[in-house]
Amino acid sequence: MRTLLRFIQKYSNLLLFLLLEIIAVVLMVQGSGFQRSKLIALNRQTTGYIYSKVDGAREYFSLKEVNQQLSEENLKLRNRLDILSSSVDSATVISDLRGGHHYFFIQSRIVQNSIFKQYNYLTINKGKKQGVFRDMGVISDQGLVGIVLESSANFATVIPLINRDFRLSAKIKSNNYSGILQWDGSSPRYAVLNEIPFHVELVAGDTILTSGFSSIFPEGIKVGRIESFSLEKGNFYNIRIELFTDFQRLYHVNVIRNYRQEEQLNLENQHR
Amino acid sequence: MYILTRNIFRFAVVILFQVLVMDNVMINGYMIPYIYLLFILLMPFETPRWIQLLAGFALGLTMDLFTGTLGMHTAASVLVAFVRPYLLDLLAPRDGYEAETFPRIHYYGFLWFLKYTLLIVLIHHLALFYLEVFQLKHFFSTLLRVILSSILSTSTIVISQYFVFRK
Repeated sequence: MRTLLRFIQKYSNLLLFLLLEIIAVVLMVQGSGFQRSKLIALNRQTTGYIYSKVDGAREYFSLKEVNQQLSEENLKLRNRLDILSSSVDSATVISDLRGGHHYFFIQSRIVQNSIFKQYNYLTINKGKKQGVFRDMGVISDQGLVGIVLESSANFATVIPLINRDFRLSAKIKSNNYSGILQWDGSSPRYAVLNEIPFHVELVAGDTILTSGFSSIFPEGIKVGRIESFSLEKGNFYNIRIELFTDFQRLYHVNVIRNYRQEEQLNLENQHR
Repeated sequence: MYILTRNIFRFAVVILFQVLVMDNVMINGYMIPYIYLLFILLMPFETPRWIQLLAGFALGLTMDLFTGTLGMHTAASVLVAFVRPYLLDLLAPRDGYEAETFPRIHYYGFLWFLKYTLLIVLIHHLALFYLEVFQLKHFFSTLLRVILSSILSTSTIVISQYFVFRK
């Protein structure tokens, strides 16, 4: 007993060090997934206020750029309106009215983001009070941004495309083949599309869109274009995609609310 | 007592500065300067080791809460707090550290402080970045990030000394 006590006394610092490291590792392993998202949400609620203040200052400096982006978007929308108003068919208008709105967009602003980590997160300034909930899609006028992970009263945490945990089904525009879109952690400008079988013909520069195989995103949201591809040991391509969304300059985003999400999920769950 | 309050104050300042300013400074897609290590660097020589360890733990945990990376900063900071006394012994001047002095440029000169900071930062960044990736697949790109970030963090920390403690 005495030797044990002496041992503990002699190596007390080493033991304390090991204990603390074990706690850290346990936190790291256990803290993935659900706990981490809860913790982040809790933390965002408290730090969200500070960040939104800091952001107020930053917003001022980027006014010019934001103006530029907005006017570009305006122009694009006006052009589309012109095209649509000339080609709109009265039949589709009626069926659309009868079906009611399917998707609704909630405008929001990014108050905090990280880009250069492996597990990046964004915080946006809309939360439960404004109708932002878990598993809603987030897009910008440039393209896909991410998925809402957790929301508090006035803020929400978004898991962006550039997070190693991100997975989404996406398709190639020209031939409709779909694969799994994910991020390899190398650069915030590029992502990877996997599980496209080897017999598909690919062309660099082809556009990648969301497939609509989930209740989160509608079909056809722009993701990026094929930069290069290679066949890596096996029957599937490894496709490198240049993203349309520039996460570094991202400021205004839209959260997509799908009014039929619940209905779709209920139906899908019946057959599991 | 004075030293205690001073260190608590430094803890708060360093964390706030890191989270509000430094985390928004990202250069070239690879590097964030981690200035919060200053707290560990500047702890007095004679601080009991268990206090150093617990302080490192608290520092890392606070950073983790702010960045949402549970455990990573904690593990790296505790490691640094553990090796600091050995490093100080290694870098000690021939007749040891004098009483009533602190590990600062002001007392031990630029070169000593640079070596001290660089070693601590390097150990911290190695632990932090490899824990973040948590695999050896990206070994060399991670190593590049460690080296570049270490250079940036070290220079930020050393330069900060000339702004904050001028006397």
